[in-house]
Amino acid sequence: MHFVSRVRQRLDDTELQRNLQRTRGRNAAARLASLASLDDFDAVRERATEIRASVLRDLDVWLERFEAEATRRGATVLWARDGDEACRLVIDIARRHDVKTVVKAKSMVSEEAGLNAALEAAGIRPVETDLGEYILQINDNEPPSHIIMPVIHKSKEQVSELFARVHGTAAKTDIVELTREAREKLRPEFLGAEMGISGGNFLIAETGSVAIVTNEGNGRMCTTMPRVHVALTGIEKVIPTLDDLATLLRILPRSATGQAISNYVSLLTGPKHEGDADGPEHMYFVLVDGGRADLIGGDFEPMLRCIRCGACMNHCPVYQTIGGHSYGWVYPGPMGSVLTPLYQGLEKAKDLPQAATLCNQCGVVCPVSIPLPDLMRKLREKQVDAGLRPWSERLSMRLWAWVAQRPKLYARGVRFAVRYLRWLADGRDRIQAMGVAPGWTAERDFPAPAAQSFRDQYAARQRRAGR
Amino acid sequence: MIKPPPGSRGEVGLFVTCLVDLMRPSIAFAALKLIEAAGYTPVVPDTQTCCGQPGHNAGDARSARALAQKLIAEFERFPCIVAPSGSCAGMIRAHYPHLFDDDEGWRARAEALAAKTFELTQFLADVAGVTEVPGDFVGAVTYHDSCAGLRELGVKRQPRALLDRMPGVEQRPLNECEECCGFGGLFSVKYPDISGAIAQRKCDNIRASGAGTVALGDLGCMMNIEGRLRRNGDEGTQVIHIAELLAGRLDPD
Amino acid sequence: MSSARDDILGRLRQRIGREPAGAPAAHARVEQVIAASQAGPRPSYDGDLAARFIERAKALISTVDECAAPADVPARCAHWLIGQGLGRQVVVSPALAGLDWATSGLDVRIGAAGGDDPVGVTGCFRAIAETGTLMLCSGAQSPAVNSLLPQTHIAVVPREHIVADMEAAFAVARDAFERWPRALNFVSGPSRTADIEQTIVLGAHGPYRVHLLIVG
Repeated sequence: MHFVSRVRQRLDDTELQRNLQRTRGRNAAARLASLASLDDFDAVRERATEIRASVLRDLDVWLERFEAEATRRGATVLWARDGDEACRLVIDIARRHDVKTVVKAKSMVSEEAGLNAALEAAGIRPVETDLGEYILQINDNEPPSHIIMPVIHKSKEQVSELFARVHGTAAKTDIVELTREAREKLRPEFLGAEMGISGGNFLIAETGSVAIVTNEGNGRMCTTMPRVHVALTGIEKVIPTLDDLATLLRILPRSATGQAISNYVSLLTGPKHEGDADGPEHMYFVLVDGGRADLIGGDFEPMLRCIRCGACMNHCPVYQTIGGHSYGWVYPGPMGSVLTPLYQGLEKAKDLPQAATLCNQCGVVCPVSIPLPDLMRKLREKQVDAGLRPWSERLSMRLWAWVAQRPKLYARGVRFAVRYLRWLADGRDRIQAMGVAPGWTAERDFPAPAAQSFRDQYAARQRRAGR
Repeated sequence: MIKPPPGSRGEVGLFVTCLVDLMRPSIAFAALKLIEAAGYTPVVPDTQTCCGQPGHNAGDARSARALAQKLIAEFERFPCIVAPSGSCAGMIRAHYPHLFDDDEGWRARAEALAAKTFELTQFLADVAGVTEVPGDFVGAVTYHDSCAGLRELGVKRQPRALLDRMPGVEQRPLNECEECCGFGGLFSVKYPDISGAIAQRKCDNIRASGAGTVALGDLGCMMNIEGRLRRNGDEGTQVIHIAELLAGRLDPD
Repeated sequence: MSSARDDILGRLRQRIGREPAGAPAAHARVEQVIAASQAGPRPSYDGDLAARFIERAKALISTVDECAAPADVPARCAHWLIGQGLGRQVVVSPALAGLDWATSGLDVRIGAAGGDDPVGVTGCFRAIAETGTLMLCSGAQSPAVNSLLPQTHIAVVPREHIVADMEAAFAVARDAFERWPRALNFVSGPSRTADIEQTIVLGAHGPYRVHLLIVG
């Protein structure tokens, strides 16, 4: 479905709109409140930005360092050019270890790769264990609408109805009870699954570890109970040291949910040691490119600094109005409007860079200072260069600039525009239908201009004053 | 502050903006009055047209550069450049230099211009140090922070401080005053559904403020908010540019 | 066909403009960054780290108790559990096996928790005052499951193990571990979720309660 139709559907969906409004602004307020507990937020943000930027400048070498360290500590590091290759690697691992069931902690890269469908096709049962992702999975593999709050678009009544239908239990209305029901359903899965798949918030080159940040504890479960652990992440996730991790952990949870720290941060290094009471016998990393390497060294490199906190969408007027599903792929909101065309192809997401007011709330709150509106402008430039914008728009821009460079012609144009608009207004102070910009008058009135433009009034005034 | 003699503080280049020129000249006349009242001589280069923002935001970098060069040439002789618009002043201050990342000469000129370009209330409060404003409005006013002024220029305290100088004005807080109104230039025309829904929320907040008047610093946002209010039958809420409010009655001449 | 690894690294090198001759210098630079690891801006705390830790831990909905000596731990655990009506059955990490659990009145098993154990007792490698966070390391003596599977987790926190921030804890860890443990878990209060209507619910998958016993 086309973006504009998707949006219309979401705007007309009163239940969705109610759900979006219920939580709107809450994360933004929590974020703001949590910044007060840092002595100097700006200094931490600057440092976080530099950590991420410095890695990207030498990403090849940092990845090699990470790989060497992870390997030295007993993990196996595999590489995937794209999502399909990542799926094949994960399936190979599962087959090698005779895996029937996989428990999954949240991994956006696995969403990029379409891993669940690939596992199912290979006869391996994936079980999402993040509460939100679990709800989506049992709702016929519905896609997430937010990168850290996947079911932000749903009400408890919808979850209740879903649980009753799928679990065959009595409908519950209480969120605590619903959460308990999911816990009880998932506990045996954690204990029985042969393999756990996690994402990775950061890869630490110093120790060859992956850091996983969660609140529910499902990330710990998936990486502690099964005998095989696969960490599936993008290649851009490397950071140099544990000290850098400490810095980034000051800013990630605050930006995401307004927490000073998330409940669980797990730093996982290699498989279990001999004699260890628990932990997996095998640990794999699958490092996925998926379009990332192509961004290095270009205009869009800053996008790779992203730490997936979701602050940009929590603050985006467009996202909060249309919801995450309108964006059409894994990543919604401002970061999605930049990433989707870059990873999926410019021509596959023509609306996303355009459907933004460039208000720059996202750029201001981004914990790693990604200039999201500037990147959207750059994408608009690329669209123009690639001939992806309508010829009428390109022509009108050129024509506007051509006229605006010729002041005399421009003045005549303004005079004509005044007359035209006043003719449309037909003696009233406003225009209610305007052929040249039907989009405007579909939603708003357009004011009638003053009888004379400023330039004409001012020239007359100067003449009268003898200047 | 002792009132400086008229014109004693030097020239100020007024960039009227294309939208004010076409749609609402009173905003520019109000700006002239305020700049004069602050002791400066406003100068309006008559060849001025557009800052290039539409092209810049539409991905037409060539057009944006051409219009930026024209504006730079027209205005760089002034010690100060003022625009009654956060987004146009923001275009010059925050974006012009980057248009010329590959052209050292123009980049230097763009940077020099950027450094002395101000949004009107920023100029009045921070540069001119104005302590008296001529406006005599009486009533409750709420203020909407337009995005570019707020986030590209840091315009927040200045309009409110200037309104504080008007004894008849009672300032009312606006819930979500820093949220975008949904204008976004051509966005409002390309995605009317989204734009209209965002504007609706802004209008609801404005009405909930209890002030009969909302002031702001960008004509684009004004037209969006006013147009949405009127379309929904609100004929009462007044949408006014901060310059008009501060300047008060304008001489017919 | 070249490997995915070579492909990806090759593309990165090309985008970065890395000449083969420059690689050793880049590797040396990276090693230097790691060797001379620089902390970012850190908070500064005046006063008592333990007081700060306790205040932050309580803010995370952990409960806190204190006792004077390690010998008091079993009795304090029993007192709290019975007071809360949480029963007497506990599984205790081997690291704490040396304490006198026999006289505590608790039904104690030393080892790793299973899915049905109601209460897990662990030690703690370090505790972080900045956020009220426990730093637990996995190992033969300290099963990770004890702080994960039971509905109640009791952590014994030696007062001298409380450090200012994560950087300080990492500094200790770098010296302490000959081999880095499989899992370093930072635990900040009970497991929670806010996935449904952003309403916070405790005990999503892990413990419903975290009780801290500060010793010393």
